[in-house]
Amino acid sequence: MLVSVLLAVLGFVAGVLGALTGIGGGVLLTPILALHFGIAIREAIGTSLVAVITTSAASSSVHLQRRTTDIRLGMTLELATALGAAVMAYLVGYFNRNLLEGLFAAFLLYSSITLLSKGGKLKGGNGGLPENGEIPPYQPQRYPLGLGASLVAGALSGLLGIGGGPIKVPVMFIFMNVPLVVATATSNFMIGVTATASAIVYYRRGDILPEIAAPLAVGVFLGSWLGARLAPRVHSKVVVYLLVGIMLYLAGHLVSHLLRGLP
Amino acid sequence: MSQEREPGFDRAVAAVLRAGAFGGFLIMLAGLIIRVLVQGRIPLEVERIGVLWMLATPVVRVLVACFLFFKEKDWKYGWISLGVLVILMLGSVFGIGEH
Repeated sequence: MLVSVLLAVLGFVAGVLGALTGIGGGVLLTPILALHFGIAIREAIGTSLVAVITTSAASSSVHLQRRTTDIRLGMTLELATALGAAVMAYLVGYFNRNLLEGLFAAFLLYSSITLLSKGGKLKGGNGGLPENGEIPPYQPQRYPLGLGASLVAGALSGLLGIGGGPIKVPVMFIFMNVPLVVATATSNFMIGVTATASAIVYYRRGDILPEIAAPLAVGVFLGSWLGARLAPRVHSKVVVYLLVGIMLYLAGHLVSHLLRGLP
Repeated sequence: MSQEREPGFDRAVAAVLRAGAFGGFLIMLAGLIIRVLVQGRIPLEVERIGVLWMLATPVVRVLVACFLFFKEKDWKYGWISLGVLVILMLGSVFGIGEH
């Protein structure tokens, strides 16, 4: 009972921070579940996937109504993300806990750097359209590179229980010539399918705990709803530093946990 | 690219996702409330239904988009959507051993 409340609060905070920064809350959930709730790492991964799917569905329905999502591009790249995610969900059994924790710490560091280098700019892309409300005409380029990066993003999603936005958004924006608003919305759109491709495997293996997933997803849902509404009014620099602080703490915690686990 | 589609396409896909997110949220919330009231398996089963509802949402989303692409005679993206659907189904077809 108390645990359910704590999980809902955790989901809520992750949801608010995720929506404010546009990075998605999934990156916080797996390590917190594993480190502070004593849940086995594989179950933590499977369980946070449910929260990731919930956020993606809720937020991309808003992006779709604003017509900022490129469904064709998203669907094409999903071929790669879903494949990477499904395959890794099978292979996760061959990764030991230390390797998963190490990879996760590395991904947290990478996400922190992406966030800091972008400042608060991702948030603008996550929210409204450009100033004149028009998306400039564009043609996605370098599909092979996009598909390759999507395969990696999908694999990391299936391996770590995250959405993978910090990989897909820069690839679409920088290499595929897609406007940032569209890249953010499309990445969000893809996350649901990507996470589901691996979540089905985790579920069938019994690695998704409904009693943990439910309060977490309820909290994330409410948190990202609030975050999306607060976004125009909150100074994003502060939020970015807060999130980076939490991520660095979790990365450090994972590394120290890992070092203690080594012989 | 994104301007070529009819607005109805985006709206239909958005409706699926909204129904999925809200539906899943309400079912899982119901599970939590039941957990306060009664002990045992009932809340767990409700929460499980919520989880499965959430897992079904993206699958239905791909299914609807696939149908709409074929209806618009956009064969290329119809087949791409079908491919995504097949990959999604891989996880529920193959048996998974405990490692």
